[in-house]
Amino acid sequence: MSKRAPTDWNGPVMQRHIRRRYAAERRFRLLGLGAVLLSAGFLAFLLVTIGAKGIGGFSTAFLTGSDATDPVRAGIWGALKGSLLTLMVTIALAFPVGVLSAVYLEEYAPRNRWTDMIEVSINNLAAVPSIIFGLLGLAVFLNFMHLPRSAPLVGGITLALMTMPVIVIAGRNAVKSVPPSIRDAALGIGASKIQVVFHHVLPLALPGILTGTIIGMARALGETAPLLMIGMRAFIATPPGGIGDPATVLPVQIFLWSDEVSHGFVEKTSAAIIVLLVFLLAMNGLAIFLRNKFERRW
Amino acid sequence: MPLWAILFLILGLGAAAWTAARARARTFAGGPARPHSLPGHHGWYVALWATIPALAFLAVWSNVSAGLVYEQVMASPEAASLPAFDMQRHAILAEARGLATGQVTTAFNPQAHGIAPVYASAMHFWSLIGLAAALLIAFAGGGWAWTRMSPHFRARTRVERLVTALLLLASLIAVLTTAGIVLSLLFESLRFFARVSPFEFLFGASWSPQMAIRADQAGSSGAFGAVPLFWGTIFIGAIIAMAVAIPLGLMSAIYLTQYARPATRRWMKPILEILAGVPTVVYGYFAALTVAPAIRDAGLTFGIPASSESALAAGLVMGIMIIPFVSSMADDSIAAVPQAMRDGSLAMGATTSETIRKVLVPAALPGVVGGVLLAVSRAIGETMIVVMAAGLAANLTANPFESVTTVTTQIVMLLTGDQEFDSPKTLAAFALGLVLFLVTLALNVIALRVVKKYREAYE
Repeated sequence: MSKRAPTDWNGPVMQRHIRRRYAAERRFRLLGLGAVLLSAGFLAFLLVTIGAKGIGGFSTAFLTGSDATDPVRAGIWGALKGSLLTLMVTIALAFPVGVLSAVYLEEYAPRNRWTDMIEVSINNLAAVPSIIFGLLGLAVFLNFMHLPRSAPLVGGITLALMTMPVIVIAGRNAVKSVPPSIRDAALGIGASKIQVVFHHVLPLALPGILTGTIIGMARALGETAPLLMIGMRAFIATPPGGIGDPATVLPVQIFLWSDEVSHGFVEKTSAAIIVLLVFLLAMNGLAIFLRNKFERRW
Repeated sequence: MPLWAILFLILGLGAAAWTAARARARTFAGGPARPHSLPGHHGWYVALWATIPALAFLAVWSNVSAGLVYEQVMASPEAASLPAFDMQRHAILAEARGLATGQVTTAFNPQAHGIAPVYASAMHFWSLIGLAAALLIAFAGGGWAWTRMSPHFRARTRVERLVTALLLLASLIAVLTTAGIVLSLLFESLRFFARVSPFEFLFGASWSPQMAIRADQAGSSGAFGAVPLFWGTIFIGAIIAMAVAIPLGLMSAIYLTQYARPATRRWMKPILEILAGVPTVVYGYFAALTVAPAIRDAGLTFGIPASSESALAAGLVMGIMIIPFVSSMADDSIAAVPQAMRDGSLAMGATTSETIRKVLVPAALPGVVGGVLLAVSRAIGETMIVVMAAGLAANLTANPFESVTTVTTQIVMLLTGDQEFDSPKTLAAFALGLVLFLVTLALNVIALRVVKKYREAYE
């Protein structure tokens, strides 16, 4: 057995070796930083480009008018009102159904094949491409049930089907995070199962459910493809009066204007994007605020 | 009386029933027997009996009453002069209905003015009948429930049984939606495949649905070969977009989890998440307005003929959109690698980057692969970016500067024209939708299985 000489750490060969390894370490680190900065830089570039183009498009006429063939008179209010009506329908349907299913799955569902089927379909629905929901809306709501075309009613129902899985998943997590001791205490003093859920668990889970709901609604607000399928791409020159009237929504209006050849519409499209982004930012900000203010660690 | 007014009337009756029954149940408390249920439960029991049967009746009535009105109008002497041809007659009747309800003031067809009063009186007659029947049912239901009230009556059990049923019903909507998607896609696709053979659809290399509008050409022209669409979808969504998203997403995740200070991470991560929250229509506009011309100009300076709707522009922007998705999946799977493996590697003298490259990433690879599969499934289902930035020409090309088209683009194009619903052109959209649905479903199932298996390996 030959005797091994101790490593010469200060020798030129070893020093070069160590330097090379440290350089590789720095390169890798910079690569990571580069990736983060590149992604963030792209976001900044996108926002600045749109902002610079769109800021000139704002005027009173733009904020109060509806779609027009002339870019000078074209406004966003009609599309915004359509979006609000659609979201009203969406939340009125998706929120109760989503919360009730979350409660059922977390608190009542027996462990059996039937429940598995419900869970699998909810998880799959959350991953189905949005355009498929548009096809469903076209085939079932328009061609089979003959609901009015281009109406916020149909758009709202379609988006509700899309948003519901998001609310269910958020709701289940919120209900799950309520500690069992709360339920045991309520059951112990004679509350029924329903009273436990509706008087104690749901109020405590509500902030989490609301956060998930707002995030789901923000996604629904930005959704375009399914609404194109059900005909919400018509030229609508007056704001809709109700959920049965033909209407368009913000993202679809952006899509329609982006197709216009007239140069003035570039400015209007960018301005409409700013309006949409402001709404999305406000909704997400509200969700973050709710989470930070009411979230409880048990 | 319109339907919604009857609806509110019944809901009002329900509220009245609730108050009255609760007040009556309160008197039980002083009695000799200890009441089984709280006053509120009795209130709900009576209110539910007063409203639910009546509302169910209204739901049925709203479907039936239009037919009854139609029958009565058709039986009237004024309707005898109507044309026998269905479409014409329906148009006149629709106008008369509009006149009768006041939605329109003047009708295009003079006959409609003659029928409008008949229509109005028929509608009035049947809506009165509906109102009377609904009220009768509401009072009968509420009254029956009222007679059952007593201290021993188990109102709470019954009300709660209904609530439980409601919960189950709500969760079944998800199953119904899934079934609705599968059935509607399958049904329309079968009608499509009755005209165009599935073999030709799945393996044909020529796609030009516009040619098939003429009836004699449908199905025989070879215009529905979807291979160029499938290739375009894979090219943009799974190749170009992933070439952008995988390196950037993975490196961002590594930097944010392994190198960045917690404070930096706290504000950097949400900023990256914003990329996923920007609506796709905004990305599409950006791709079409800024990225695509830039790529075309860049291509021209290097002497490459680039289309203004190049696959590269759509793929690049889609890749950027997917970054946060890949990044958060990679983040999760790197965090799931046991700390001991990391510590062991560092203790052996490896640098941080060596540990990451030789230990963490290989150990997290199944999770990362699962995340990438989910990202691919999202990218191929993405619609607006490709509709706005990718072209319509169904090319089979691997040149990223040329224009390709995707499944989702074609679905939008096929369904947003003004053609009749039964043409093979519109039905083709459903067949494409079915393929898209099945592929994304398969990708998700595989991805979740991979991720799950890998999690189990470390538990």
